[in-house]
Amino acid sequence: MTVREFLADRLGRISLRLLCAALAALFLLSTGTQAGVILLLLLGMSGASGTVLLLDFFRQRARLRELEAVLESLDQKYLFTECVASPKGAYERHLFEMVRRAGRDMTGAVSDARAAQREYREYVESWVHEIKTPLTAAGLLCGKLEGDTRRRLRYELEQVEAHAERALFYARAESPEQDCVIRRTELKEIVAQAMEKHRTLLIQSGIRVETKGLEVPVYTDGKWAAFLLGQLLQNATRYRREEEPFLLLSARTLGSRVSLTVEDNGIGIPAHELSRVFDRGFTGSNGRSRGGSTGMGLYLCKKMADFLDLELSLTSKEGEGTRVTLVFPAREKLTKL
Amino acid sequence: MRKIMVIEDDPFIREELKLVLDNEGYETAVITEFTAVSDQVRAFCPDLILLDLGLPGRDGLALCADIRRIGRIPVIFVTSRDSTVEELQALSMGGDDYITKPYNVPVLLARIKAVLRRAAGVGEADLLEAGGLTLHLTKGTVSAGERTAELTRNELKILACLMERQGSIVSRADLIDALWDSQIYIDDNTLSVNVTRLRTKLGEIGMPDYIRTRRGMGYQV
Repeated sequence: MTVREFLADRLGRISLRLLCAALAALFLLSTGTQAGVILLLLLGMSGASGTVLLLDFFRQRARLRELEAVLESLDQKYLFTECVASPKGAYERHLFEMVRRAGRDMTGAVSDARAAQREYREYVESWVHEIKTPLTAAGLLCGKLEGDTRRRLRYELEQVEAHAERALFYARAESPEQDCVIRRTELKEIVAQAMEKHRTLLIQSGIRVETKGLEVPVYTDGKWAAFLLGQLLQNATRYRREEEPFLLLSARTLGSRVSLTVEDNGIGIPAHELSRVFDRGFTGSNGRSRGGSTGMGLYLCKKMADFLDLELSLTSKEGEGTRVTLVFPAREKLTKL
Repeated sequence: MRKIMVIEDDPFIREELKLVLDNEGYETAVITEFTAVSDQVRAFCPDLILLDLGLPGRDGLALCADIRRIGRIPVIFVTSRDSTVEELQALSMGGDDYITKPYNVPVLLARIKAVLRRAAGVGEADLLEAGGLTLHLTKGTVSAGERTAELTRNELKILACLMERQGSIVSRADLIDALWDSQIYIDDNTLSVNVTRLRTKLGEIGMPDYIRTRRGMGYQV
């Protein structure tokens, strides 16, 4: 608070006091009091009220500074009313009480919203688990069908499952720590898991898949990593080229870290869209022209990679292909998880 | 005949699984009452149990502990919940394997075979013989009479697949499916290339027409 703000607040009071003093002086003058006496009187009065004003100013400023310091020191600012010294004076007490009530109401609203969000997430999770039983039954029933129909139906079922799975992981990505166990896993196992999930899609698209050097251990949560990889496989299949589509999964050891590269010879991504591929809901011109793109796949990948401490990067040349690299952290870097 | 018990609450999946397992040559029993499960297990004496974790009434994990008390019967958990924590819990309760729904039937069968094999402590058959040809699975070689040829992993698997179903036609798509089960990610073109190479090798050991192409249907040995 500056002196000016303080004076501006009291402008009415000060001018009223000046007016009163002027009137009193006029009155005294008219009743025959000597001018010198009046001057002395005025000087004494203004001295007294000036001192009071000044004291008031310093007291208020000190109080405000104290409150500000408390607010600054708090991480969670909404705890302010719980942490400051008790209010002085009736006016301040009332204000304080009102702020406290407003704050409480807000905290309530926030925690209600959090609870609702958690419940929704739990519902999505249990829904996905429920849907897996009929999917299993349908898959079993598939076995009774003739070759071609069986394969086509299985493809559709696999799509349903992929969508359900994405919903599950999207729900889980809000609080991934609840379901993440870092273990030593052979990279080959993770790749096999992802390939199995999308096998019908991959086989039917006629894409040629090659793997190279996957017999290395990585330290990560296999299930999450497989899901992440699954998104990359789906993308590579979706945006494949017409003739001789090709996909290479290769691993390399970089010191104590391991990198997995997924590269295809697909249609690629236009250069000006590259910076936005990890954005939520971004579908790009490829996604729009082909349809069926949700813009969620790579967004989820990025989110999970950040959580799992994987480095995820993507390079692409339009018309030539896309290369996604995942770098798994070294074992000793994992303590922070 | 190996005996498998299916403990699963979804009646449809239960019946389908029984059919699949029966067709594979197992003796299968399903449970329809979930009250005295351990008595039913004791009565049937299975070699392996497929146990759903989400059963009505009793929790599958507790049930597994009961089964463990009966004796050393291998258990494969089947569940739609795929949380890591639950998987660890299940395996630490003495499950031998853990498979999540929806599963692929060949994968399930392979897991069953693997667990049974582990429990019995016997190795996989090493030799496959059909039509005068002997395939050594561990050595990766094929021989006819005195002559032997070395095969690559893909060729070995393709030939094994055809020899296992000797006499019947195996479609290209089924062959690809079977190869994917063994984590050989092969596409249609690569399959053709591999079959051609395989034929050349078989020709070198005197069996050039061992694999027959059935136009529009697939291969047959």
